[in-house]
Formats: sequence, C-alpha cells, structure tokens
Amino acid sequence: MKESDFLQNWHEEKSSYEAWGGFVAEEILSHLRANEIDTTSFLKVPPIPRLKTDASLLDKAFYRKSKKYKNPYDEIEDKVGVRFVVLLLGDIETINKVIVNHPAWEYDACKHFNEDRRRDPLLFTYQSVHFILRPKITFEFGGVYVPAGMPCEVQVRTLLQHAHAELTHDAIYKAKRAIQPEVHRTVAKSMALIETTDDFFGQVSLKLSSGPLEELGVDARLDGMYRSITGNFPSNQKSSIVIWDEFEDLITGDLPSLIESFLARNQFLGEIIVKKYLDNGLYQQSVVLFIYWMLKRKRTRLLKDWPLERVLLDSLATDLGISLENH
Amino acid sequence: MQLINLEIDRIIIHQVYQRDQEGQKVDPLQSHDYTRFDKNAMDAFITRVRDALGEESSAVPMQIVNQNDGDLPRLVDDVMEMGDSDFSVSSYDFALKLASAQQRRSIPGGILVVFTGTQGATPKRFLGLIKAEVHSGYEKEVNTDTQEISLKFVEELLLTPGTKLYKTAAFFEKPKYGNEVEDLNQKWTVMISDYQISRTDGKAAAQYFYSDFLGFGYPKSSARTTKNFYDSANKFIADLDVSESDKSELLNALTTYLKVEKTPTVSSSDFASKYFNDETKDDFLAHMEDSGVPTSAFTKDIEHIESKLKFRKVKFGGNIKFWAPHEVFAEKVSMETIPGDLDESGQPAQWTKILVKDRVMQQE
Repeated sequence: MKESDFLQNWHEEKSSYEAWGGFVAEEILSHLRANEIDTTSFLKVPPIPRLKTDASLLDKAFYRKSKKYKNPYDEIEDKVGVRFVVLLLGDIETINKVIVNHPAWEYDACKHFNEDRRRDPLLFTYQSVHFILRPKITFEFGGVYVPAGMPCEVQVRTLLQHAHAELTHDAIYKAKRAIQPEVHRTVAKSMALIETTDDFFGQVSLKLSSGPLEELGVDARLDGMYRSITGNFPSNQKSSIVIWDEFEDLITGDLPSLIESFLARNQFLGEIIVKKYLDNGLYQQSVVLFIYWMLKRKRTRLLKDWPLERVLLDSLATDLGISLENH
Repeated sequence: MQLINLEIDRIIIHQVYQRDQEGQKVDPLQSHDYTRFDKNAMDAFITRVRDALGEESSAVPMQIVNQNDGDLPRLVDDVMEMGDSDFSVSSYDFALKLASAQQRRSIPGGILVVFTGTQGATPKRFLGLIKAEVHSGYEKEVNTDTQEISLKFVEELLLTPGTKLYKTAAFFEKPKYGNEVEDLNQKWTVMISDYQISRTDGKAAAQYFYSDFLGFGYPKSSARTTKNFYDSANKFIADLDVSESDKSELLNALTTYLKVEKTPTVSSSDFASKYFNDETKDDFLAHMEDSGVPTSAFTKDIEHIESKLKFRKVKFGGNIKFWAPHEVFAEKVSMETIPGDLDESGQPAQWTKILVKDRVMQQE
C-alpha cells in the first residue's frame, strides 16, 4: 500500500473513527455514572477521543524501524483512542469491568501491566492497560455510519503511570538526540518508584475507606432506616466519622438489627428528627439513630467517651426523656 | 419514666414563705401572669424537668392517697380542664396548700413553679410542680474596658443544677382510663423527685412535701417490683462471665443493697454504678429493662424476698448444699475455684475451695 492510498482510506473513514471513539467514551462514562461514580472527580483527565494526526499515522505505518506492517492500514488499531486516567490501581479495575461487560463491542485485552509484570519481572517500563474495542454490528452514531469491527484503542492507567507515559512519550520517543543509558536507567527507576507509590496509595485508600462500618454494611443499613422513618435522605458529615471512630468496638454485625428493633419501639423518633432537622447537624445524619440507641442501651459508655460537645447529647436525651443527672 | 416528646405550654410561679417567728403561716405571694421563657431558658427548664423525672432519674412513682375534695390531687384533676385565665388563678391554691403543709419553721420558703404540658409519642397532658429554694451565688461580670473579671453577688438564685435545691412532682395523664374515674390513680401516674432528701433517711422525699402537700403515699406495688429487681439482678450475676468468687461478692452486694442499706429507693442504675464497671453497667441496665424492671428508681419493699435475703445459699453438684445467714456469709466465708483432678479428656475438673473462718461446732 502506498502512502497516498493509505491517506485516502483514512480521510474517507476518519469521521466514522471519530464517531466510534465518541460512542465508546460516552458509553463508559454513562456506565460509571450508573454505578454512582462522580466521573468529574473520578477521572483525572477528561476522556476525550483523539484521532491520530496524518503525520504520526504515516510515520507509524511506514517509518518505524521496530515494527514492519504487512497491511498497515488494517493493522494499526489506535487510529482513534480514548484514555481514562484515574487515581488508584483499584479504580482501573472499575473501568475494566465496565469495558469487558459492555454488550455493544468485542474487546481485545491487548495489554495489561499485571501481565507485563509477570512476563518481565525485572523490567520497569511503561505501564498501562490497553483494550481494542470493535462494534459487534454496524450502526449509526450522531448521524455517522460506524462499521462493525472498526477498532478503537482504550487506555486505562493511574495518574502516576500517566505522568510516566507523558514524560517518556514526549521526551524520549521524540528526543532529538540519542538517549544516554543513564537516562533510560533513570526513567526505569522512576517507574519502579511509581509502582511502589501506586501500591502505597492503594493501601492508604483501603485503610481510609474500609472499617467494620463499611465491611458489615452498617452505614448503608442505617441510611436506609433513616430514610424510612424520616422520609429524608441523610446527609452524613465528618462529625459522624468522629463518633463512629470513638465507638468502633460497638460496630458488630447485629448492630443494625438492634437499632432497628429499638426504632420499632420508639417510632415517634422519626417525627422528632424531622421537626428538629435544622436544630443541629446530628439530626441530618443517620448516625443520630446510633446515638439514640446508645443513649438507651449504652448510656454510661456514651457519656464517658462522647467526642463532641455535651450540649448536643442533651438535646437528644430530651427527645428520649432520659435523665442525665446521675452521669 | 420515659418523658419523650416533652413540651411545656404554661408556667406560672408563686412565692411561698417560711413561717414567721410565732410559727404562723405567711400567705404566699400570687402571680397573675404566666412566665414566658425564651428558647434557651425553656430548653434549660425542660432539661431540669427531664433530669428530675425522666428515665434513669432518681424520681420514684408514688400513689395518690388523699383524694377528697380540696385535696391537692383533686385540685390538679380539676385545673387540667381549665382555660388559661382560670388556671392562673387556681394555681395559687397549690401555693396555699404548700404554705399550709410547711408546718415547721425550719422549712425554708422559695418559689412554687406550676407548669403544664404534654409528653409521650401520642401526647398526653401532665402537670408539674417544683418547689425551689432560693439560694445565693455570684454572677460573672466582665468590665468591657479593662476586660477585668469581677463577681456580682446575687442574693436570690433558683434551680441551679449543681445545688439541686428543689423538689419536683408531676401528674402524668395515663394513656387510657374510663369515663367515670373514682380512684384518681386510674387516671394519673404520679412521680416525685426530691434532691434534698438524704438517701439514708429512709424516705423518698420530705414528708411535708410528698404527704402533707401532695397527698401521696408509697405505692403498694413496690414489693413486687423489688422482687423483680432482685430476681433479675440475681440472674444477671449468675450469667456473668466472671470467677465464682467474684459472683459470690456481687451476690453479697445485692443482698446488702436491698437488706442492709438504708436507702428508701432502689434503682438499677444506682446499683450498677456502685458495683459494676462501665461496660458491665450498660449490659446490666439493658438486661434489667428487658426483664421489666422500671428504668427509674422505685421505693424499696422487701416483703416478698425477706426469706431469700436472710440466707445465702450455694448449691454444688452431688447434692451438696452450703448455706449461711447473709451477714455471716459475707463476713466469714470465702469461695474460690481451683483446678481439680484431670478428667478423661485430660482437662482439670473445677473444684471449689471453701474457707470458713470459724471452727466446727457440731456434726451429724
């Protein structure tokens, strides 16, 4: 294939590739949102589909020393690409799941850094997850015809992996002079560091977001009870974390059912919470149900270790009509 | 009493005086207007009422004894039906009653707060009475120019939570009662809380207050409630995961609490705070509530458990029984679990070592 034929093909199909990239980006975003993920904070770089420029396409097809294509037009699969950049390694799996489960396309998981690590355990180099997605059937998107089998490359990586890729791609592939071995060595060292840091980030986030409260699903159960007795959604704030933290040892698998049966005996509480909703922040959070329960069943402990101002408790004790004079 | 959803709608305050030099009654000073509190003052007042009468308070349920025309419970029953203007006038009758009841000159004057409101999930009416003694104190003053702090002497202070110089009583309308109520006890639950009574006096409240003024007596159900308290506490201690010698001490304590101590009232939280650590305390309170023991204090009556309190009994396997008068047991007997011979599985059997600090008098 001559360069001119190649370009002619490309110009004819460019808008289809663009539409296909746009479809992929939009579908992945909407599936993430359906999982209650705020994509604007979850994705660290906006996932805008990008078409290769004519020049870089020609360069890749005809002038790369490392790779010779028999049929470059069909073999080059990243003519359009979308990149998803996230903070944590765990977030990558969230996106991967959306991609492999989507019914509209066939996927080819052509690169995953976990496999690279297994294959070349001594090598520290570019890390990312790559998929090639192809529509299962020919369809129309935004008024443009997208043929079945048209490839789109999706890259998924962490912010740190992305930083490494940006540096190596821009500074090394496009370097105007031969690269010194020590530069390669330094880049490899950064990748080693990045992999280490990504692991640490993952550990930190796990420590921060998991505890008995989440593992046992206590918070979700309480939110549900709050909704059902007040008719409002709870708006949980930092003060609830302080409270849960203080009484973490009381969080057990049967705590929700204990609180549930307590509420069943004290159904008037829903009305009181609604009435006092604006009095103080506790009434707006589902942790208020836990405090009510403690006032009734774990009073000594509650009063001994209460981490916030005592007057907040006073108000709740009045709701339940419990005397605090002996404490 | 669980005072949920407590709201107060009317408060009126009259002043009562100490008897004069000759021991003659001095007429109370009548207020004609209702007291209007701002939100903070009202919240604080509700807190006082809740602390005095609410669940886990030292308030005890009483029984209405005097209920003829002119007796205070009858007056309460009448005024609850009145509109605001009649109520404010009639509330002065309570002050007159109190002045008459204060027969000794040693009883100080003060104010009588009469208030009404509602409480409960399905709100029911109640009427409360607080007799508060006036005391003196200081108020902090900060000089705005120099920021210097000085204290202003205040001669008449009232209802300060720290000094607790007040007595509280309340009539709570029961959720259900018939149309023709002959005995006011069918219509009203009455509670009393007296912070000023010494707990070793053997009374739940000053006599002039609970009997002469209010017309109350100790409830007849106390013996039943006390027995339930004893049985439930006994079971809790028996099920505790502690050594046998600790259990023995707790059982001694329970008997002492009911039999020896002169306190007129019993309450789960009082017992718990004396004998359990914080964690066990909460478990104990929950167990007692689940067993139907009142969550507030109640008057002690050991009639139904007298024989049980006399002897401490310990039963062992093999039909071995050991028993001794309570006082002697606490003083002269100690028990300890020790490892015995190994059983078939190689585990030591549990044996008990009993030490009796006395010699054998007789054997049969």
